[in-house]
Amino acid sequence: MKLKEYEKLVDKHSKKENKLLNFFISFLFGGIIGVLGELFVVFLEKKFYLPLSEAYMYLMIFLVVFGSILTGTGYFDKVVSFAKAGLIVPTTGFAHTMTSCAMDHAEEGPVKGIGSNIFKMTGCVILYGLVSAFFLALLKGVIK
Amino acid sequence: MTLNFKNVYIKNAYTLLGRNEYVEGIKADESLNDYYLDEKCFEMGEVDYQVKTLNGLLKKEKLKEKDIDVLIGGDLQNQLFATYYANRKFDISSLGVYSACASFNEGLIFASSLLENQKVNNVIVTVSSHNLASEKQFRFPIEYGALKKKVCTFTSTGSVSALVTNKKTNIKIESSTIGKVTDIGYSDANNMGACMAPSAAKTIYEHLKETNRTPDYYDLILTGDLGIYGIKILQEYLEKEYKLKINEIKDAGVMLFNKESGRSIAGGSGPLCLPLILFTKILKEKYKKILLVGTGSLHSKLSTNINESIPSVSHAVSLEVNYDLH
Repeated sequence: MKLKEYEKLVDKHSKKENKLLNFFISFLFGGIIGVLGELFVVFLEKKFYLPLSEAYMYLMIFLVVFGSILTGTGYFDKVVSFAKAGLIVPTTGFAHTMTSCAMDHAEEGPVKGIGSNIFKMTGCVILYGLVSAFFLALLKGVIK
Repeated sequence: MTLNFKNVYIKNAYTLLGRNEYVEGIKADESLNDYYLDEKCFEMGEVDYQVKTLNGLLKKEKLKEKDIDVLIGGDLQNQLFATYYANRKFDISSLGVYSACASFNEGLIFASSLLENQKVNNVIVTVSSHNLASEKQFRFPIEYGALKKKVCTFTSTGSVSALVTNKKTNIKIESSTIGKVTDIGYSDANNMGACMAPSAAKTIYEHLKETNRTPDYYDLILTGDLGIYGIKILQEYLEKEYKLKINEIKDAGVMLFNKESGRSIAGGSGPLCLPLILFTKILKEKYKKILLVGTGSLHSKLSTNINESIPSVSHAVSLEVNYDLH
């Protein structure tokens, strides 16, 4: 049997996720996080008189810490199983991935375990974030 | 390649269920419900499972270490960690085997071939698997909430030991077929049932051809861990590719995990599935001629990263059970 024919056979018998529904759920939960984040920023601006850029920085820190704590206490994966990509795509997803990698190797010690494994999956985000930031900054300089 | 055995029997087995998540209606000899067993990490927990089953089997059969000639073991961890770290506690010659979830059948084939040698009288075949250890090794970090596809299977946790001997008992290992590594180019590591169905079909076909038997000869064909969808794929693939229509076929993975367990998983997986279901369920249901088809998907993290397709291997072992002999 050829691969194409086999893939058809597999498709016929396999149960699939409802993509449209997942898309909607992710949009909803991602949106909720966005709204809460925006409210947090407004709160920081109005109450603590922070400039907008600093308020966003504190929001990032808050989301990462929040995501990490939820991961460490074991709730994040349960929430993700119904919130889907809505929680993975924002910064909470970054924190979650980082913490779960570190937890996997915690028994191997602080250096060889946590130290060398914490950025195992999120390292690519940092690397390509830096690379694209460099080129965008360069582009900005050229245009100005 | 089909081998016939004259004088090889399974005497007894010891089953241990490490964690009974989603498992219903399985009465194992020991049920722990603990991933760690007070060890530093769960990988060591799996080592303890194997030590416990080996000790349990020796105790059950009232045998000493010197009565066992060879230990054969298999698991899913890198470098067969669980097997060898468990076997260091025993003063017995030891062999490790790996063909993923077909390891138990591979172990039985090795044990049977060794027993044809006059010097060897008793061989123990042990397999174990650990859900967290294989998630960490083959998929994502454990706490990472990656969404599982509906076709994904759930690795079972625990260990099974079987004593294979050349003294007559009621379970005879009659013949076995060593499978060929099959790869038709399928590459979705989440759909393991679809990865392994072609090799299972090939091994069943070759076994029947080389022994001149029809599917009706067997009361039951028990596959390892194809899952709810994989077993349907296998049936249709057998019909289309080899013109074999088999109705009496069951999957151990499906029998291990109940459909109503609340989570959308396609069944159990891991080398543990097949022997656990065989010894706790199938042998109590009075099937006389059983063909065990262990199915193993041979992928690794590397093979997925470099976009290679997933090969698989299946080994078949034919059992004849005599229920009057007791």
